[in-house]
Amino acid sequence: MIETAGDAGLIASPDITELPLWKQEGATPFLRIENITKKFGDFTAVDNISLDIYKNELFCLLGGSGSGKSTLLRMLAGFESPTSGRIIIDGVDMSGVQPWKRPVNMMFQSYALFPHLSVEDNVGFGLKREGLGRAEVKQRVAEMLDMVQLGHLGKRKPSQLSGGQRQRVALARSLVKRPKLLLLDEPLGALDKKLREETQFELINIQEELGVTFVVVTHDQEEAMTLATRIGVMNNGIIVQTAEPHDVYEYPNSRFVAEFVGSVNLFEGRIIEDQPDSVRINSQEAGAVLYVSHGISCAPNQKVHVAVRPEKMRISREQPDQQENCVCGVVEEYAYMGGLTVYRVRLASGKEVRVTQPNTSREASERLTWKEQVYLYWDLDSSVVLTA
Amino acid sequence: MNPKKLGLATALAITVSTTTFAEEPVVNFYNWSDYISPEVLENFTKETGIKVNYDVYDSNESLEAKLMSGGAGYDVVVPTGSFLERQVQAGIYAEIDHTKLTNYGNLDTVMLEKIARHDPDNKHNVPYAWGTIGLGYNVDMIKARLGDMPVDSLDLIFKPELAAKLQDCGITVLDSPAEVVSIALNYLGLDPNSESKADLAKAKTLLSSVRESYRKFSSSSYISDLANGDACIALGYNGDILQAQGRADEAGQGIKIDYAIPKEGTVVWFDLLAIPADAPHKEAAYQLVDYILRGENAAAISNYAYYAVANNAATPMLLDEVVNNPGIYPSDEVKANLFTQNAHAAKFDRLLTRAWTGIKTGR
Amino acid sequence: MSIQTGSAWVDGSGSRLAKYNFFKRINWGRASVFSVPTLWLAIFFFIPFLVVFKISLSESAIAVPPYTALLDWNAEDAYINLKLNLGNYLFLFEDSFYIDAYLSSIKIAAVSTFFTLLIAFPIAYLMARSKPSMRALLLALVILPFWTSFLLRVYAWMGFLKKNGLVNEFLMGTGIIDQPLIMLQTDFAVYIGIVYTYLPFMVLPLYSALEKMDMTLLEAAEDLGARPTTSFFLITVPLAVPGIIAGCVLVFIPAVGEFVIPSLLGGSDTLMIGRVLWDEFFLNRDWPMASAVAIVMLIVLVLPIMLIRNSQGKEETA
Repeated sequence: MIETAGDAGLIASPDITELPLWKQEGATPFLRIENITKKFGDFTAVDNISLDIYKNELFCLLGGSGSGKSTLLRMLAGFESPTSGRIIIDGVDMSGVQPWKRPVNMMFQSYALFPHLSVEDNVGFGLKREGLGRAEVKQRVAEMLDMVQLGHLGKRKPSQLSGGQRQRVALARSLVKRPKLLLLDEPLGALDKKLREETQFELINIQEELGVTFVVVTHDQEEAMTLATRIGVMNNGIIVQTAEPHDVYEYPNSRFVAEFVGSVNLFEGRIIEDQPDSVRINSQEAGAVLYVSHGISCAPNQKVHVAVRPEKMRISREQPDQQENCVCGVVEEYAYMGGLTVYRVRLASGKEVRVTQPNTSREASERLTWKEQVYLYWDLDSSVVLTA
Repeated sequence: MNPKKLGLATALAITVSTTTFAEEPVVNFYNWSDYISPEVLENFTKETGIKVNYDVYDSNESLEAKLMSGGAGYDVVVPTGSFLERQVQAGIYAEIDHTKLTNYGNLDTVMLEKIARHDPDNKHNVPYAWGTIGLGYNVDMIKARLGDMPVDSLDLIFKPELAAKLQDCGITVLDSPAEVVSIALNYLGLDPNSESKADLAKAKTLLSSVRESYRKFSSSSYISDLANGDACIALGYNGDILQAQGRADEAGQGIKIDYAIPKEGTVVWFDLLAIPADAPHKEAAYQLVDYILRGENAAAISNYAYYAVANNAATPMLLDEVVNNPGIYPSDEVKANLFTQNAHAAKFDRLLTRAWTGIKTGR
Repeated sequence: MSIQTGSAWVDGSGSRLAKYNFFKRINWGRASVFSVPTLWLAIFFFIPFLVVFKISLSESAIAVPPYTALLDWNAEDAYINLKLNLGNYLFLFEDSFYIDAYLSSIKIAAVSTFFTLLIAFPIAYLMARSKPSMRALLLALVILPFWTSFLLRVYAWMGFLKKNGLVNEFLMGTGIIDQPLIMLQTDFAVYIGIVYTYLPFMVLPLYSALEKMDMTLLEAAEDLGARPTTSFFLITVPLAVPGIIAGCVLVFIPAVGEFVIPSLLGGSDTLMIGRVLWDEFFLNRDWPMASAVAIVMLIVLVLPIMLIRNSQGKEETA
């Protein structure tokens, strides 16, 4: 089923045989968010969210700007207090606990490094507040800087560091106190693409090494996919779907999630045949009857959407054998991207469909080109029906 | 009737326009604040058609600074005798042609003789007003502390044991080194115009011995301090103290102020009309000076400012309360004890200022 | 290229480059921008300074102007006589009087600057933390006193502080004291006057430093376990240092030379160099001596400030 590695979630530890905690019945969550609501005047930023996060998880809150993800994070850190609801960390109710007393550290999107302090003093700031001795502070700072490979830059000021180096200092500073829970606000947002990809894996390694529970806020679905053990997709102050990256991608529970995570082709249609393990949908937009190999619970004749990922479709000049899930159209445009080619195909209904195909052949002559009549088809189990 | 030396800083702000229209005759008159009856100036303009640009200053020092820089553009100024004396040496003033002043004969010749000590033959000046430095006091407060002891003695502020008795109700002394040191020297039986270092040291010792009992050295604020009851005795100018008296009466708070000329003798000062050598309108200046010398105008000034004028023609027109006030026009007997404070050499001025600062700051 | 402006164009591309660099080096726009403050400094600071310096080297005289000329032109023998009088400077150190006056001015200015800072910091802090709409109002309030004359405001303080003034009446009316406090004509009144007058000069640079501060730094400090007071002293104050220095300089320098406030509010025993200067100028009519006092005051003030500036500059480039 996994066709391109980049789109798939990176499973934390492939050799783990037992079920992850969130799939175990009766496991105790490390962080429990109970019916949290936050209002700013009339505006509800976070709307009655409940969420359990387990030890050693790397949980991503994914959403656009204004979705409420940052507000939720700030409530975990204690910078905002919830209008209603409770936050329980490791069994302790955090209501009324000030930020400086929480077993939580945060890595800020802007890094928030203290510009007047050296790298060492930035990292050691939290330890000194704990009242640790000079020698111990020095040792732990050195260890932490070595871990993020900045041992040689301890005397510098933040302004003398590159973006990537600052990011590491921020990470080191937030980890040095060995928090039970680390909150990361767009941790990779300020880095360029290449650095971001490198750092993603580094972050995962560190998280596994230290065994700290991470909650990451991001708007970047690729980042969430790569990092997360689970993703909570947020929109308008609520969590729309909480699932493992793979499930979020392959089994989105709503049009919002399908469209927000990756790209998708949606065909509107009506159910004409409702079996326990399959449905048939008549889609004017697709100009065909579509078959989906899973049952849904819905009213007869209900309007639904069928979601098909671009890479799940195949494209061909010749009509395929399969009758179902096959539509035809004209190539509008295509983009050769090396490993794959992206096509935009216009169907008879006027609907535009996006298809990606791996470039298995090197011959340019075999490639489809503009204005060619093509058939698009996909496997019976490659699509999802979305009622929401 | 405002304080003569309202605030030192206002001196910095005073300017005068020297641009004049060719046709319109003007005279630029630079005088002490509130030192002339406004009607005198109005009537002068009515009579002669000469417009008076009237501007005021509040200290001899600021007048001198302007004149010394040159090009100030004034036609008539009113320095005090000792200042005029120095300024004449600097060549600031034009010689006065007395024949141009038809009313010069009105002036009191006895006074002219005294003034001539500042300016031989009165070549550069015409007397404007004169007065004394003496003791202004709060009648009731002094009585409460000293009983019926007469107040006409400098002992009150120069004898430590007496000054200490008045310390709580407030003693203020003019912030004018030359005049106060002069009075102190005279009190000690020394030459009030001595420039000897030893004499200065004696005066300093005297003043330092009572410094603790003084509330402040001030050349202006004692008017309101006396009137408000914030001070009970002040060594100050007679006109200022009479102003304080007037204010206290107006306020009706039951504060009674009186003025006494010390029996030990004190400084008599003369404010003198003078014409700067570079005055742009000399003819108009003569007309103004002559106009002021007229009996009725001199009387109007004396009646307004509560200072004495040395003008015989004015005497009949003086108000009773002015002419019969011994604080303004003292008896001949008292007059005999008055002395002028002459200008000092620059070197002595420096010593004097230094000694004065030492007295004030207690070092 | 059709216009030949000089030999630079004649021989090949190398010279053209040189010509280009030459213009780049001059950068006329930049130069004209810099020339305005330079010209300003020259006309309103440097030339007057030279005039005062010149007077300080002359001798006092009864004349207009009241000092001797430095240069004498002797027409008969055709020589120029240059006479420099250093006596005024030597006289400054002849006894402790002037030195005491300088020290006392510096002490009064330093104490006032400290209290100005103490009061201005919370004000600037509040302004920087308030809503943007509120800031404009608060800023206007800070500047508002400038709309009335400085003299009037000092006179108003005389009204507050005098024996039967508002403060005493309030304290006696409420029974806190039975005898009026003597506040006017004391050093205390001078401190109040200076702190009050120069407060805006401290608030504004502090405000601009605090306003620029990234608020997430404080959150970061709290997140790392610092209580608000700790983060104030460890984060806010250090980051406000440029504003603190600018404000202190703006208050300290004019306070050292302050004349009006000690004259009106201070006692006769408040010794400040501004008053000494006044006495030299007006009582002694000794312009050369007054000029020497002023020049030394400038040196006393300017040198430390240049040192501060230098060390700051070094830190920035380090």
